[in-house]
Amino acid sequence: MSRSIAIVFPQWMNDHGHLGEEHAFRMFEHVVRAVTALSPLVEVQDLGTIVLSARGPSRYFGGDTAVAEKLHRLCTDANTGSAWGVGIADSRFAATAAAHLAVSRGYPCVIDSAIGAEFLAALPVASLSRVGGISADTVDLFQRLGLGTCGALLAVGESALIDRFGIEGQRVYHLVSGDEVRHLAPGAPPSDFAHHVEFESPLANAAHVVSAARATIDTMINAIAGHGQQCVRLLITCHTDHAEVAGRIWGEPKGFSAAVVAQRLLFQLEGWLTDSAADPDAPTSGVVRIEWVPLESREVLVVQPLLWGGNQENTERAARAASMAMAVNDTVQVTVPRWSGGRDVATVYSRVPIALVDLTNSDAGEQRVHSGEGVARDWSGSVPRPSPASVAAEPPLIQVLNHAGTSIGVTGRHELDSLPARVEVGNQKYDIMRVAGPWPVEERWWDPRRRRRQVRMQLLVRHQQRGVGVFLVGLENQLWTLLARYD
Amino acid sequence: MSQTAIEHLAGMRIAGVETGAQFAERVNAQVATGCGPISVVGPLAPLLPAGGLERGHVYGCTGDAATSLLFALVASATSTGSWLAMVNMARAGLMSAHEHGVALHRTLCVSAENTSTTMSQVLGALVDGLDVVAVSSPACSASDARRVVARAKAQGAVLFVLGDPGGFSIDASFSARTEQWQFDTHAHSRTVNVSASGRRVHAHRSFSVQLPIGSCS
Repeated sequence: MSRSIAIVFPQWMNDHGHLGEEHAFRMFEHVVRAVTALSPLVEVQDLGTIVLSARGPSRYFGGDTAVAEKLHRLCTDANTGSAWGVGIADSRFAATAAAHLAVSRGYPCVIDSAIGAEFLAALPVASLSRVGGISADTVDLFQRLGLGTCGALLAVGESALIDRFGIEGQRVYHLVSGDEVRHLAPGAPPSDFAHHVEFESPLANAAHVVSAARATIDTMINAIAGHGQQCVRLLITCHTDHAEVAGRIWGEPKGFSAAVVAQRLLFQLEGWLTDSAADPDAPTSGVVRIEWVPLESREVLVVQPLLWGGNQENTERAARAASMAMAVNDTVQVTVPRWSGGRDVATVYSRVPIALVDLTNSDAGEQRVHSGEGVARDWSGSVPRPSPASVAAEPPLIQVLNHAGTSIGVTGRHELDSLPARVEVGNQKYDIMRVAGPWPVEERWWDPRRRRRQVRMQLLVRHQQRGVGVFLVGLENQLWTLLARYD
Repeated sequence: MSQTAIEHLAGMRIAGVETGAQFAERVNAQVATGCGPISVVGPLAPLLPAGGLERGHVYGCTGDAATSLLFALVASATSTGSWLAMVNMARAGLMSAHEHGVALHRTLCVSAENTSTTMSQVLGALVDGLDVVAVSSPACSASDARRVVARAKAQGAVLFVLGDPGGFSIDASFSARTEQWQFDTHAHSRTVNVSASGRRVHAHRSFSVQLPIGSCS
């Protein structure tokens, strides 16, 4: 039994998930880092749930109530725009449940050890699925069996629960008895599956570290999977060349895949390595060593849905080929498209390194590229379909001239000040036959420092030798650029 | 006297040349063993003698609409489960690919140093596992290119080369030339003259098609 503190943001995904899970995680990272200022080793159990051991902070700050209030103030200061609650109780499950109670009350909920058992016994079984990671089907069955509270389940007894529900029954018993097998002690014994990787030279870029560590992550996840297990809690520790250490425990109720581990490692490193100006704990050197210690694993309860993936063989061959191509040398980079919905034609899709994604998960793949579906694309100023086939990442400067040979400008009402006649791209001259637009794009017009004003046009052009073509050109800060060509 | 020898004497068999009947026989055998051509969308099928992209072949795409034509040719393959790699095509418009019907969740974007050694190793690794690999102006020497093509043939992959083919010998080259743009409030579709030529194309094939395919004129 270990006294734990839980901080929950139950609506985090609703409030911050509109740009995808990854963005929500990055937002959450700010809160997590604020909490690590109080206690270095915290566990991010899930998106929106932080758990830490109460023993150290509680002694340091003078009691549970003091630390709970401190954390409550910290969350107020963080100003996340999402409701939160802080709870302290004798087990992680009880602390998380207490924190959920605190959300509606608006002040921290501290459960004294003396009433810990009664608090647990009075909890409704629904909280087992909401905070305990027990499947909703099982909880539903408990309710239909007339077992409405955790106290009723405790009275059923461990052996009966195991008889009827197997491993999950045992977990239920551990949760309701407050006797969790999980420990949140910094000195937890390393498990057999612990892996580490060392780099010859310190790496300062989070993405580079993740790419370099990906092979070890794969090995570790495969080793665990080889025992019919999946990791659900993982301690990731990063060491720099100057012996600075940052550890974090990550939880994943669905079980870690290699891509998820890589993603969490990236979040952890990004939070730690960047933003060094403000943070006194920021590292002064690059990362030289990373350790992974799986703290808790469980039998694979669910048969992996990949088995019914249809074209799974193709996908696995492709994933293997991609890693073989990456292994050729350092200049090779393999990325996959991801919908990011930028307003520029070049940023509608971004390209993510394959180290960060699970290629074999086809559902995640479809979600990655199609999350923009359903979003209206014909907002004012959008580039109409069909989209250009060649998009310049760094658009070259061009000249758009009128008949007199002077550059075209745009008035405050987004109208052209004269008729365009000619485009010069490098030393190539094109005659303009038709013009569509201009379509204005204004971003953050309310913010004088970050605002951006751009005008885009489509031009039907003719070249002496090359014939007709269509260009997408943009005017920003008095400069015309060739954004894309309809190749 | 064996059948082969008779054909040889009669001038029916010349190295590297096959009759229409022999070609049909070969394609049917491939289809029967599950290594048949990779399908392309209906309007483009007349470009290809086998009705689809033949595995182990190297195709070229040229002309001012080459990128769009590539997207149109590979769209059907990716949506039926094949993977596509685009090598050194940083400028390829992914939104445009999506509109042409390319399944982006089965697309890899690869960038690599454009030297003969690196490029041939990367392409070799990719054709081992992917059905369709497209590369822009690879700087492969003829011998490296032959090695890549041999691996593609062994694994049944299709290679597309855009721009300068370098050491690659192209089996069939598609040229896409814009004939006319439908341009009113914006550019909304175009008529493209597509032609196929090359040593694996029996007769010069040429016709006009709307790109993106299915867009109304």
